[in-house]
Amino acid sequence: MKTEHTAVSIYVGIIGMATLLLGLAQILVFAGGTELTVGIMTVPNDFFRGAWGGLVVAFAGALMLSGVREIGDIQQFSKVVLGAILVWIIAGCDIFAMICESIPAGEEAPAFFNSLPGFISGFAPPYAPAVLLLPFSLVIACLIRRWGSSDT
Amino acid sequence: MGLSEDERWALIDEISRQTVKSGGYKQTLGDVLGELTVKPLTGIPVAIGVLYAFWSIFGSFAGALMTDGFMVKFFDRYLLPWIQGMWPDPGTWLYFIFVGDPVADNCFEAFGVLTSGLFVAIGVVLPAVLIFYLMMTVLEDSGYLPRLAVLMDTFLHKIGLHGYAIVPTILGLGCNVPAVTATRILETRKQRFIMMTLLAIFVPCGAQIGIMLKAIPDTIGWVFLYLLIGYGIFGFVLNKVIPGSNPEILIDVPPYHLPAWENVAKKMWNRTKGFLKEAVPFVLFGVLIVNLLYLGGVIQWLSDALAPLFVYWFGVPKETTGPLIAAFLRKDLAVAQLAVIPMTAYQMISSVVLVSIYFPCVATFVVMLKEGWKELVAAVGVLICVVFLYGGLIHLIGILLGVA
Repeated sequence: MKTEHTAVSIYVGIIGMATLLLGLAQILVFAGGTELTVGIMTVPNDFFRGAWGGLVVAFAGALMLSGVREIGDIQQFSKVVLGAILVWIIAGCDIFAMICESIPAGEEAPAFFNSLPGFISGFAPPYAPAVLLLPFSLVIACLIRRWGSSDT
Repeated sequence: MGLSEDERWALIDEISRQTVKSGGYKQTLGDVLGELTVKPLTGIPVAIGVLYAFWSIFGSFAGALMTDGFMVKFFDRYLLPWIQGMWPDPGTWLYFIFVGDPVADNCFEAFGVLTSGLFVAIGVVLPAVLIFYLMMTVLEDSGYLPRLAVLMDTFLHKIGLHGYAIVPTILGLGCNVPAVTATRILETRKQRFIMMTLLAIFVPCGAQIGIMLKAIPDTIGWVFLYLLIGYGIFGFVLNKVIPGSNPEILIDVPPYHLPAWENVAKKMWNRTKGFLKEAVPFVLFGVLIVNLLYLGGVIQWLSDALAPLFVYWFGVPKETTGPLIAAFLRKDLAVAQLAVIPMTAYQMISSVVLVSIYFPCVATFVVMLKEGWKELVAAVGVLICVVFLYGGLIHLIGILLGVA
Protein backbone atom coordinates (compact mmCIF):
# COMPACT_ATOMS: atom_id res chain seq x y z
CA MET A 1 0.00 0.00 0.00
CA LYS A 2 2.82 2.36 0.95
CA THR A 3 4.67 1.62 -2.32
CA GLU A 4 1.47 2.40 -4.22
CA HIS A 5 1.12 5.73 -2.39
CA THR A 6 4.73 6.58 -3.22
CA ALA A 7 4.15 5.85 -6.91
CA VAL A 8 0.99 7.99 -6.90
CA SER A 9 2.85 10.77 -5.07
CA ILE A 10 5.62 10.76 -7.67
CA TYR A 11 3.11 10.83 -10.53
CA VAL A 12 1.07 13.64 -8.98
CA GLY A 13 4.29 15.51 -8.16
CA ILE A 14 5.37 15.41 -11.79
CA ILE A 15 1.92 16.44 -13.08
CA GLY A 16 1.67 19.15 -10.42
CA MET A 17 5.08 20.57 -11.30
CA ALA A 18 4.28 20.53 -15.04
CA THR A 19 0.92 22.22 -14.36
CA LEU A 20 2.50 24.90 -12.20
CA LEU A 21 5.22 25.62 -14.78
CA LEU A 22 2.77 25.77 -17.67
CA GLY A 23 0.51 28.13 -15.69
CA LEU A 24 3.42 30.42 -14.93
CA ALA A 25 4.51 30.22 -18.58
CA GLN A 26 1.03 31.41 -19.63
CA ILE A 27 1.28 34.41 -17.33
CA LEU A 28 4.79 35.22 -18.62
CA VAL A 29 3.63 34.92 -22.24
CA PHE A 30 0.78 37.34 -21.47
CA ALA A 31 3.28 39.75 -19.90
CA GLY A 32 5.54 39.38 -22.95
CA GLY A 33 2.66 40.12 -25.31
CA THR A 34 3.45 37.60 -28.08
CA GLU A 35 1.62 34.30 -28.54
CA LEU A 36 3.92 31.29 -28.21
CA THR A 37 3.52 28.05 -30.17
CA VAL A 38 5.76 25.08 -29.43
CA GLY A 39 4.94 21.88 -31.32
CA ILE A 40 1.31 20.99 -30.59
CA MET A 41 1.04 23.50 -27.74
CA THR A 42 0.05 27.13 -28.04
CA VAL A 43 0.18 29.59 -25.17
CA PRO A 44 -2.36 32.41 -25.68
CA ASN A 45 -1.26 35.98 -24.98
CA ASP A 46 -4.65 37.61 -24.26
CA PHE A 47 -5.67 38.62 -20.74
CA PHE A 48 -8.52 36.17 -20.37
CA ARG A 49 -7.08 32.87 -21.62
CA GLY A 50 -3.45 33.86 -21.05
CA ALA A 51 -3.26 35.65 -17.71
CA TRP A 52 -6.49 34.63 -15.96
CA GLY A 53 -6.47 31.06 -17.32
CA GLY A 54 -2.74 30.79 -16.60
CA LEU A 55 -3.30 31.91 -13.02
CA VAL A 56 -5.90 29.18 -12.52
CA VAL A 57 -3.58 26.55 -14.08
CA ALA A 58 -0.75 27.70 -11.80
CA PHE A 59 -3.08 27.45 -8.76
CA ALA A 60 -4.03 23.95 -9.92
CA GLY A 61 -0.36 22.94 -10.01
CA ALA A 62 0.28 24.47 -6.59
CA LEU A 63 -2.71 22.62 -5.10
CA MET A 64 -1.53 19.31 -6.54
CA LEU A 65 1.97 19.83 -5.19
CA SER A 66 0.64 20.79 -1.75
CA GLY A 67 -1.19 17.46 -1.57
CA VAL A 68 1.68 15.23 -2.70
CA ARG A 69 3.04 14.44 0.77
CA GLU A 70 1.06 11.74 2.63
CA ILE A 71 -1.31 11.42 -0.28
CA GLY A 72 -3.10 8.53 1.44
CA ASP A 73 -4.57 11.05 3.90
CA ILE A 74 -8.00 12.27 2.76
CA GLN A 75 -7.17 15.93 3.48
CA GLN A 76 -4.05 15.77 1.30
CA PHE A 77 -5.69 13.76 -1.46
CA SER A 78 -8.55 16.28 -1.60
CA LYS A 79 -6.08 19.06 -2.44
CA VAL A 80 -4.80 16.97 -5.35
CA VAL A 81 -8.38 16.39 -6.51
CA LEU A 82 -9.14 20.11 -6.24
CA GLY A 83 -6.08 20.88 -8.39
CA ALA A 84 -7.20 18.33 -10.97
CA ILE A 85 -10.72 19.80 -10.97
CA LEU A 86 -9.24 23.23 -11.80
CA VAL A 87 -7.33 21.69 -14.74
CA TRP A 88 -10.56 20.04 -15.92
CA ILE A 89 -12.42 23.34 -15.65
CA ILE A 90 -9.90 25.21 -17.81
CA ALA A 91 -9.51 22.36 -20.31
CA GLY A 92 -13.28 21.90 -20.46
CA CYS A 93 -13.74 25.60 -21.21
CA ASP A 94 -11.07 25.46 -23.95
CA ILE A 95 -12.73 22.43 -25.55
CA PHE A 96 -16.17 24.03 -25.26
CA ALA A 97 -14.77 27.15 -26.98
CA MET A 98 -13.41 24.94 -29.81
CA ILE A 99 -16.81 23.28 -30.21
CA CYS A 100 -18.64 26.64 -30.25
CA GLU A 101 -16.24 28.06 -32.84
CA SER A 102 -16.43 24.95 -35.04
CA ILE A 103 -20.21 24.57 -35.28
CA PRO A 104 -21.00 27.68 -37.40
CA ALA A 105 -19.58 28.06 -40.91
CA GLY A 106 -17.15 30.95 -41.44
CA GLU A 107 -18.38 34.54 -41.82
CA GLU A 108 -18.02 34.50 -45.60
CA ALA A 109 -19.51 31.03 -46.14
CA PRO A 110 -23.09 31.00 -47.46
CA ALA A 111 -24.21 28.16 -45.14
CA PHE A 112 -25.01 28.61 -41.48
CA PHE A 113 -23.52 25.31 -40.27
CA ASN A 114 -19.98 24.10 -40.83
CA SER A 115 -19.35 20.97 -42.92
CA LEU A 116 -18.27 17.82 -41.06
CA PRO A 117 -14.61 18.09 -42.23
CA GLY A 118 -14.68 21.79 -41.30
CA PHE A 119 -16.08 20.96 -37.88
CA ILE A 120 -13.46 18.28 -37.23
CA SER A 121 -10.62 20.53 -38.43
CA GLY A 122 -11.59 22.93 -35.65
CA PHE A 123 -10.12 20.43 -33.18
CA ALA A 124 -6.72 20.21 -34.86
CA PRO A 125 -3.62 21.18 -32.85
CA PRO A 126 -2.09 23.34 -31.46
CA TYR A 127 -3.82 23.12 -28.07
CA ALA A 128 -3.76 25.25 -24.94
CA PRO A 129 -1.64 23.88 -22.03
CA ALA A 130 -4.68 22.79 -19.98
CA VAL A 131 -5.97 20.65 -22.85
CA LEU A 132 -2.61 18.89 -23.08
CA LEU A 133 -2.60 18.34 -19.31
CA LEU A 134 -6.12 16.91 -19.39
CA PRO A 135 -5.33 13.24 -20.29
CA PHE A 136 -2.58 13.10 -17.65
CA SER A 137 -4.81 14.59 -14.98
CA LEU A 138 -7.59 12.12 -15.75
CA VAL A 139 -5.53 9.52 -13.88
CA ILE A 140 -6.68 11.39 -10.77
CA ALA A 141 -10.29 10.63 -11.76
CA CYS A 142 -9.38 6.91 -11.63
CA LEU A 143 -7.84 7.47 -8.19
CA ILE A 144 -11.08 9.16 -7.03
CA ARG A 145 -13.06 6.09 -8.17
CA ARG A 146 -10.69 3.78 -6.33
CA TRP A 147 -10.92 5.98 -3.25
CA GLY A 148 -14.72 5.82 -3.45
CA SER A 149 -14.75 2.01 -3.73
CA SER A 150 -12.32 1.61 -0.82
CA ASP A 151 -14.48 4.01 1.22
CA THR A 152 -17.62 1.88 0.98
CA MET B 1 -57.25 9.73 29.18
CA GLY B 2 -53.69 11.12 29.13
CA LEU B 3 -50.42 9.25 29.48
CA SER B 4 -48.46 9.35 32.69
CA GLU B 5 -44.97 10.84 32.73
CA ASP B 6 -43.32 7.39 32.70
CA GLU B 7 -45.50 6.23 29.86
CA ARG B 8 -44.63 9.32 27.84
CA TRP B 9 -40.90 8.70 28.34
CA ALA B 10 -41.38 5.06 27.40
CA LEU B 11 -43.18 6.11 24.24
CA ILE B 12 -40.37 8.55 23.38
CA ASP B 13 -37.80 5.78 23.89
CA GLU B 14 -39.77 3.46 21.65
CA ILE B 15 -40.12 6.03 18.85
CA SER B 16 -36.41 6.88 19.13
CA ARG B 17 -35.46 3.20 18.89
CA GLN B 18 -37.49 2.85 15.71
CA THR B 19 -36.47 6.08 13.98
CA VAL B 20 -32.99 7.15 15.14
CA LYS B 21 -29.92 5.39 13.85
CA SER B 22 -26.55 6.06 15.40
CA GLY B 23 -23.10 5.30 14.07
CA GLY B 24 -19.65 6.78 13.55
CA TYR B 25 -19.13 9.64 11.12
CA LYS B 26 -16.61 9.07 8.38
CA GLN B 27 -15.51 12.07 6.39
CA THR B 28 -15.94 11.59 2.65
CA LEU B 29 -14.00 13.13 -0.21
CA GLY B 30 -17.03 15.32 -0.98
CA ASP B 31 -17.08 16.63 2.61
CA VAL B 32 -13.41 17.60 2.49
CA LEU B 33 -13.77 19.22 -0.93
CA GLY B 34 -16.72 21.18 0.47
CA GLU B 35 -14.57 22.39 3.37
CA LEU B 36 -11.63 23.28 1.13
CA THR B 37 -13.79 25.50 -1.07
CA VAL B 38 -14.75 27.74 1.87
CA LYS B 39 -11.24 28.12 3.27
CA PRO B 40 -9.61 31.26 1.79
CA LEU B 41 -6.27 29.65 0.90
CA THR B 42 -7.83 26.92 -1.22
CA GLY B 43 -11.26 28.47 -1.82
CA ILE B 44 -10.07 31.68 -3.52
CA PRO B 45 -8.19 29.83 -6.31
CA VAL B 46 -11.30 27.73 -6.88
CA ALA B 47 -13.50 30.85 -6.96
CA ILE B 48 -11.13 32.43 -9.52
CA GLY B 49 -11.39 29.20 -11.57
CA VAL B 50 -15.18 29.04 -11.33
CA LEU B 51 -15.55 32.68 -12.39
CA TYR B 52 -13.18 32.01 -15.29
CA ALA B 53 -15.38 29.10 -16.38
CA PHE B 54 -18.49 31.25 -15.98
CA TRP B 55 -17.23 33.94 -18.35
CA SER B 56 -15.51 31.55 -20.71
CA ILE B 57 -18.71 29.56 -21.29
CA PHE B 58 -20.70 32.80 -21.49
CA GLY B 59 -18.36 34.21 -24.17
CA SER B 60 -18.10 30.98 -26.16
CA PHE B 61 -21.83 30.28 -26.25
CA ALA B 62 -23.31 33.77 -26.45
CA GLY B 63 -20.48 35.40 -28.43
CA ALA B 64 -18.75 32.87 -30.69
CA LEU B 65 -21.58 30.40 -31.26
CA MET B 66 -24.87 32.27 -31.20
CA THR B 67 -24.26 35.97 -31.94
CA ASP B 68 -21.17 35.85 -34.19
CA GLY B 69 -21.85 32.37 -35.54
CA PHE B 70 -25.52 32.56 -36.47
CA MET B 71 -27.29 35.78 -35.51
CA VAL B 72 -24.98 38.27 -37.24
CA LYS B 73 -25.22 36.27 -40.46
CA PHE B 74 -29.00 35.97 -40.25
CA PHE B 75 -29.64 39.61 -39.41
CA ASP B 76 -27.03 41.21 -41.71
CA ARG B 77 -27.33 38.90 -44.69
CA TYR B 78 -31.05 38.17 -44.74
CA LEU B 79 -33.15 40.37 -42.46
CA LEU B 80 -31.53 43.76 -43.10
CA PRO B 81 -31.52 43.57 -46.96
CA TRP B 82 -35.07 42.20 -46.85
CA ILE B 83 -36.38 45.05 -44.67
CA GLN B 84 -34.41 47.64 -46.65
CA GLY B 85 -35.87 46.25 -49.88
CA MET B 86 -39.42 45.94 -48.60
CA TRP B 87 -39.74 49.37 -46.97
CA PRO B 88 -40.72 52.06 -49.46
CA ASP B 89 -38.95 55.41 -49.83
CA PRO B 90 -35.73 55.54 -47.75
CA GLY B 91 -36.03 59.32 -47.47
CA THR B 92 -38.98 59.35 -45.07
CA TRP B 93 -38.85 59.79 -41.30
CA LEU B 94 -40.69 56.49 -40.87
CA TYR B 95 -37.86 54.72 -42.69
CA PHE B 96 -35.33 56.47 -40.41
CA ILE B 97 -37.19 55.34 -37.29
CA PHE B 98 -37.95 51.75 -38.25
CA VAL B 99 -35.13 50.79 -40.66
CA GLY B 100 -32.49 53.39 -39.84
CA ASP B 101 -29.51 54.26 -42.02
CA PRO B 102 -30.41 53.27 -45.64
CA VAL B 103 -26.76 52.57 -46.59
CA ALA B 104 -25.91 50.50 -43.48
CA ASP B 105 -24.71 46.99 -44.28
CA ASN B 106 -25.12 45.60 -40.77
CA CYS B 107 -27.82 45.72 -38.13
CA PHE B 108 -25.44 47.04 -35.49
CA GLU B 109 -25.03 50.34 -37.32
CA ALA B 110 -28.42 50.72 -39.01
CA PHE B 111 -30.14 51.79 -35.80
CA GLY B 112 -33.76 51.30 -36.72
CA VAL B 113 -36.43 49.76 -34.49
CA LEU B 114 -36.79 46.70 -36.74
CA THR B 115 -33.05 46.35 -37.50
CA SER B 116 -30.83 47.27 -34.54
CA GLY B 117 -33.72 46.95 -32.10
CA LEU B 118 -34.45 43.35 -33.05
CA PHE B 119 -30.78 42.48 -33.44
CA VAL B 120 -29.89 43.73 -29.96
CA ALA B 121 -32.90 42.09 -28.31
CA ILE B 122 -32.92 38.73 -30.09
CA GLY B 123 -29.48 38.39 -31.65
CA VAL B 124 -27.36 39.52 -28.72
CA VAL B 125 -29.36 39.72 -25.50
CA LEU B 126 -31.35 36.51 -25.73
CA PRO B 127 -28.37 34.10 -26.06
CA ALA B 128 -26.47 36.03 -23.36
CA VAL B 129 -29.36 35.87 -20.92
CA LEU B 130 -30.07 32.19 -21.61
CA ILE B 131 -26.54 31.00 -20.90
CA PHE B 132 -26.12 33.38 -17.97
CA TYR B 133 -29.19 32.07 -16.17
CA LEU B 134 -28.27 28.46 -16.95
CA MET B 135 -24.88 28.84 -15.28
CA MET B 136 -26.26 30.89 -12.42
CA THR B 137 -28.83 28.19 -11.68
CA VAL B 138 -26.24 25.39 -11.88
CA LEU B 139 -24.00 27.26 -9.41
CA GLU B 140 -26.97 27.81 -7.11
CA ASP B 141 -28.30 24.25 -7.23
CA SER B 142 -24.93 22.49 -7.01
CA GLY B 143 -24.22 24.11 -3.64
CA TYR B 144 -21.34 26.33 -4.78
CA LEU B 145 -23.09 29.69 -4.37
CA PRO B 146 -23.43 29.46 -0.55
CA ARG B 147 -19.72 28.59 -0.38
CA LEU B 148 -18.89 31.64 -2.46
CA ALA B 149 -21.01 33.66 -0.02
CA VAL B 150 -18.96 32.37 2.94
CA LEU B 151 -15.74 33.09 1.07
CA MET B 152 -16.75 36.66 0.19
CA ASP B 153 -18.10 37.45 3.66
CA THR B 154 -14.95 39.12 5.00
CA PHE B 155 -14.58 41.41 1.99
CA LEU B 156 -18.26 42.27 1.81
CA HIS B 157 -18.32 43.17 5.53
CA LYS B 158 -15.80 45.92 4.75
CA ILE B 159 -18.39 47.55 2.48
CA GLY B 160 -21.25 47.18 4.92
CA LEU B 161 -22.68 43.97 3.49
CA HIS B 162 -22.36 40.26 4.25
CA GLY B 163 -21.58 37.14 2.25
CA TYR B 164 -25.07 36.66 0.86
CA ALA B 165 -24.77 40.02 -0.93
CA ILE B 166 -22.93 37.98 -3.57
CA VAL B 167 -26.32 36.60 -4.67
CA PRO B 168 -27.86 39.94 -5.79
CA THR B 169 -24.46 40.97 -7.19
CA ILE B 170 -24.19 37.91 -9.44
CA LEU B 171 -27.90 38.04 -10.21
CA GLY B 172 -27.38 41.68 -11.23
CA LEU B 173 -24.84 40.55 -13.81
CA GLY B 174 -27.82 38.88 -15.49
CA CYS B 175 -30.46 41.55 -14.89
CA ASN B 176 -30.63 44.30 -12.25
CA VAL B 177 -34.41 43.94 -11.89
CA PRO B 178 -34.50 40.59 -10.02
CA ALA B 179 -31.25 41.59 -8.31
CA VAL B 180 -32.90 44.63 -6.67
CA THR B 181 -35.69 42.36 -5.45
CA ALA B 182 -33.08 39.91 -4.15
CA THR B 183 -31.64 42.62 -1.87
CA ARG B 184 -34.47 41.65 0.52
CA ILE B 185 -32.32 38.75 1.72
CA LEU B 186 -30.12 41.33 3.47
CA GLU B 187 -31.04 42.07 7.07
CA THR B 188 -30.92 45.82 7.62
CA ARG B 189 -32.12 48.90 5.71
CA LYS B 190 -28.54 50.11 5.54
CA GLN B 191 -27.40 46.90 3.85
CA ARG B 192 -30.31 46.91 1.43
CA PHE B 193 -29.66 50.55 0.50
CA ILE B 194 -25.92 50.00 -0.06
CA MET B 195 -26.58 46.90 -2.15
CA MET B 196 -29.29 48.56 -4.24
CA THR B 197 -27.11 51.60 -4.90
CA LEU B 198 -24.06 49.52 -5.84
CA LEU B 199 -26.21 47.37 -8.14
CA ALA B 200 -27.65 50.38 -9.90
CA ILE B 201 -24.24 51.95 -10.39
CA PHE B 202 -21.51 49.34 -10.69
CA VAL B 203 -23.08 46.07 -11.81
CA PRO B 204 -23.62 45.85 -15.58
CA CYS B 205 -26.43 43.53 -16.71
CA GLY B 206 -26.05 40.47 -18.95
CA ALA B 207 -27.48 42.27 -21.96
CA GLN B 208 -24.95 45.06 -21.56
CA ILE B 209 -22.11 42.57 -21.10
CA GLY B 210 -23.23 40.71 -24.23
CA ILE B 211 -23.09 43.92 -26.26
CA MET B 212 -19.75 44.89 -24.69
CA LEU B 213 -18.32 41.51 -25.74
CA LYS B 214 -19.45 42.25 -29.28
CA ALA B 215 -18.53 45.94 -29.42
CA ILE B 216 -15.37 46.24 -27.29
CA PRO B 217 -13.95 42.71 -26.88
CA ASP B 218 -10.38 43.93 -26.37
CA THR B 219 -11.07 46.49 -23.67
CA ILE B 220 -13.95 44.92 -21.76
CA GLY B 221 -11.49 43.81 -19.05
CA TRP B 222 -10.62 47.45 -18.28
CA VAL B 223 -14.27 48.39 -18.02
CA PHE B 224 -14.81 45.58 -15.50
CA LEU B 225 -11.71 46.58 -13.58
CA TYR B 226 -12.98 50.18 -13.21
CA LEU B 227 -16.42 48.95 -12.16
CA LEU B 228 -14.93 46.50 -9.64
CA ILE B 229 -12.70 49.17 -8.11
CA GLY B 230 -15.66 51.57 -7.96
CA TYR B 231 -17.81 48.87 -6.30
CA GLY B 232 -15.15 48.50 -3.57
CA ILE B 233 -14.35 52.20 -3.05
CA PHE B 234 -17.91 53.54 -3.01
CA GLY B 235 -19.17 50.57 -1.00
CA PHE B 236 -16.52 51.35 1.62
CA VAL B 237 -17.47 55.06 1.63
CA LEU B 238 -21.21 54.32 1.86
CA ASN B 239 -20.58 51.94 4.76
CA LYS B 240 -18.77 54.75 6.64
CA VAL B 241 -21.32 57.45 5.82
CA ILE B 242 -24.66 55.68 6.20
CA PRO B 243 -25.87 55.00 9.73
CA GLY B 244 -27.13 51.54 10.64
CA SER B 245 -25.89 48.10 11.57
CA ASN B 246 -24.19 45.35 9.63
CA PRO B 247 -24.97 42.15 11.53
CA GLU B 248 -23.22 38.80 11.16
CA ILE B 249 -25.16 35.96 9.56
CA LEU B 250 -25.19 32.20 9.77
CA ILE B 251 -25.27 30.46 6.40
CA ASP B 252 -26.42 26.89 5.98
CA VAL B 253 -23.94 25.38 3.51
CA PRO B 254 -25.41 22.28 1.85
CA PRO B 255 -23.22 19.42 0.61
CA TYR B 256 -22.25 19.44 -3.08
CA HIS B 257 -24.71 17.60 -5.29
CA LEU B 258 -25.70 17.33 -8.92
CA PRO B 259 -28.46 19.83 -9.75
CA ALA B 260 -31.89 18.39 -10.52
CA TRP B 261 -32.23 19.26 -14.21
CA GLU B 262 -35.98 19.72 -13.96
CA ASN B 263 -35.46 22.45 -11.37
CA VAL B 264 -32.70 24.02 -13.45
CA ALA B 265 -34.96 24.12 -16.52
CA LYS B 266 -37.86 25.60 -14.53
CA LYS B 267 -35.77 28.29 -12.88
CA MET B 268 -34.07 29.18 -16.14
CA TRP B 269 -37.36 29.43 -18.00
CA ASN B 270 -38.96 31.62 -15.34
CA ARG B 271 -35.99 33.98 -15.21
CA THR B 272 -35.58 34.20 -18.98
CA LYS B 273 -39.32 34.70 -19.53
CA GLY B 274 -39.43 37.52 -16.99
CA PHE B 275 -36.39 39.13 -18.54
CA LEU B 276 -37.65 38.92 -22.11
CA LYS B 277 -41.01 40.39 -21.18
CA GLU B 278 -39.22 43.50 -20.00
CA ALA B 279 -36.18 43.60 -22.28
CA VAL B 280 -37.61 43.26 -25.77
CA PRO B 281 -40.27 45.99 -25.50
CA PHE B 282 -37.82 48.33 -23.76
CA VAL B 283 -35.14 47.84 -26.45
CA LEU B 284 -37.59 48.49 -29.29
CA PHE B 285 -39.15 51.42 -27.42
CA GLY B 286 -35.66 52.74 -26.64
CA VAL B 287 -34.63 52.82 -30.29
CA LEU B 288 -37.92 54.50 -31.17
CA ILE B 289 -37.50 57.24 -28.56
CA VAL B 290 -33.84 57.88 -29.42
CA ASN B 291 -34.64 58.08 -33.15
CA LEU B 292 -37.53 60.49 -32.43
CA LEU B 293 -35.21 62.63 -30.30
CA TYR B 294 -32.66 62.64 -33.13
CA LEU B 295 -35.32 63.65 -35.64
CA GLY B 296 -36.58 66.40 -33.33
CA GLY B 297 -33.05 67.79 -32.92
CA VAL B 298 -33.16 67.22 -29.14
CA ILE B 299 -30.06 65.02 -29.08
CA GLN B 300 -28.09 67.59 -31.10
CA TRP B 301 -29.21 70.38 -28.77
CA LEU B 302 -28.29 68.37 -25.68
CA SER B 303 -24.94 67.37 -27.21
CA ASP B 304 -24.08 71.04 -27.78
CA ALA B 305 -25.33 72.12 -24.35
CA LEU B 306 -23.49 69.36 -22.46
CA ALA B 307 -20.38 69.41 -24.65
CA PRO B 308 -18.14 71.22 -22.11
CA LEU B 309 -19.04 68.71 -19.41
CA PHE B 310 -18.47 65.69 -21.60
CA VAL B 311 -15.35 66.91 -23.36
CA TYR B 312 -13.50 68.62 -20.50
CA TRP B 313 -14.70 66.83 -17.36
CA PHE B 314 -15.30 63.26 -18.60
CA GLY B 315 -12.91 63.41 -21.58
CA VAL B 316 -15.33 61.79 -24.03
CA PRO B 317 -16.78 63.10 -27.34
CA LYS B 318 -19.92 65.21 -27.08
CA GLU B 319 -21.74 62.67 -29.30
CA THR B 320 -21.98 60.35 -26.26
CA THR B 321 -25.00 62.42 -25.10
CA GLY B 322 -27.33 60.37 -27.35
CA PRO B 323 -26.21 57.00 -25.96
CA LEU B 324 -26.48 58.36 -22.40
CA ILE B 325 -30.11 59.24 -23.02
CA ALA B 326 -30.70 55.80 -24.51
CA ALA B 327 -29.00 54.30 -21.46
CA PHE B 328 -31.93 55.33 -19.30
CA LEU B 329 -34.12 53.05 -21.43
CA ARG B 330 -31.63 50.26 -22.12
CA LYS B 331 -27.92 50.24 -21.30
CA ASP B 332 -27.16 47.55 -23.88
CA LEU B 333 -28.66 49.81 -26.52
CA ALA B 334 -26.47 52.67 -25.36
CA VAL B 335 -23.28 50.59 -25.63
CA ALA B 336 -24.33 49.54 -29.15
CA GLN B 337 -24.70 53.23 -30.04
CA LEU B 338 -21.33 54.10 -28.50
CA ALA B 339 -19.63 51.42 -30.61
CA VAL B 340 -20.24 53.37 -33.82
CA ILE B 341 -19.02 56.76 -32.51
CA PRO B 342 -15.40 57.44 -33.57
CA MET B 343 -13.19 57.76 -30.46
CA THR B 344 -9.94 56.52 -28.93
CA ALA B 345 -9.76 53.22 -27.02
CA TYR B 346 -9.51 55.03 -23.67
CA GLN B 347 -12.47 57.29 -24.52
CA MET B 348 -14.43 54.16 -25.36
CA ILE B 349 -13.55 52.61 -21.98
CA SER B 350 -14.53 55.87 -20.19
CA SER B 351 -17.78 56.13 -22.16
CA VAL B 352 -18.83 52.55 -21.45
CA VAL B 353 -18.01 52.98 -17.73
CA LEU B 354 -20.05 56.21 -17.75
CA VAL B 355 -23.00 54.44 -19.38
CA SER B 356 -22.78 51.77 -16.68
CA ILE B 357 -22.60 54.12 -13.72
CA TYR B 358 -24.70 56.96 -15.04
CA PHE B 359 -28.26 55.81 -14.29
CA PRO B 360 -30.11 52.55 -13.77
CA CYS B 361 -32.27 51.55 -16.74
CA VAL B 362 -35.93 52.45 -16.40
CA ALA B 363 -36.97 48.89 -15.47
CA THR B 364 -34.51 48.87 -12.55
CA PHE B 365 -35.66 52.38 -11.65
CA VAL B 366 -39.27 51.17 -11.35
CA VAL B 367 -38.31 48.20 -9.15
CA MET B 368 -36.20 50.47 -6.94
CA LEU B 369 -39.20 52.75 -6.59
CA LYS B 370 -41.25 49.78 -5.40
CA GLU B 371 -38.64 49.17 -2.68
CA GLY B 372 -39.20 52.69 -1.34
CA TRP B 373 -39.14 56.21 -2.81
CA LYS B 374 -36.88 57.59 -0.09
CA GLU B 375 -34.26 54.96 -0.88
CA LEU B 376 -34.61 55.70 -4.59
CA VAL B 377 -34.12 59.45 -4.12
CA ALA B 378 -31.09 58.83 -1.89
CA ALA B 379 -29.67 56.32 -4.40
CA VAL B 380 -30.06 58.82 -7.24
CA GLY B 381 -28.30 61.44 -5.11
CA VAL B 382 -25.40 59.06 -4.51
CA LEU B 383 -25.40 58.15 -8.19
CA ILE B 384 -25.08 61.76 -9.34
CA CYS B 385 -22.12 62.30 -7.00
CA VAL B 386 -20.51 59.05 -8.16
CA VAL B 387 -20.88 59.89 -11.86
CA PHE B 388 -19.18 63.24 -11.44
CA LEU B 389 -16.45 62.06 -9.08
CA TYR B 390 -15.68 58.71 -10.66
CA GLY B 391 -16.14 59.91 -14.25
CA GLY B 392 -13.72 62.77 -13.57
CA LEU B 393 -11.30 60.44 -11.78
CA ILE B 394 -11.20 58.04 -14.76
CA HIS B 395 -10.44 60.99 -17.04
CA LEU B 396 -7.70 62.12 -14.65
CA ILE B 397 -6.17 58.61 -14.61
CA GLY B 398 -6.18 58.68 -18.43
CA ILE B 399 -4.43 62.07 -18.44
CA LEU B 400 -1.80 60.85 -15.95
CA LEU B 401 -1.21 57.72 -18.04
CA GLY B 402 -1.03 59.85 -21.19
CA VAL B 403 -3.85 57.96 -22.93
CA ALA B 404 -6.81 60.31 -22.46
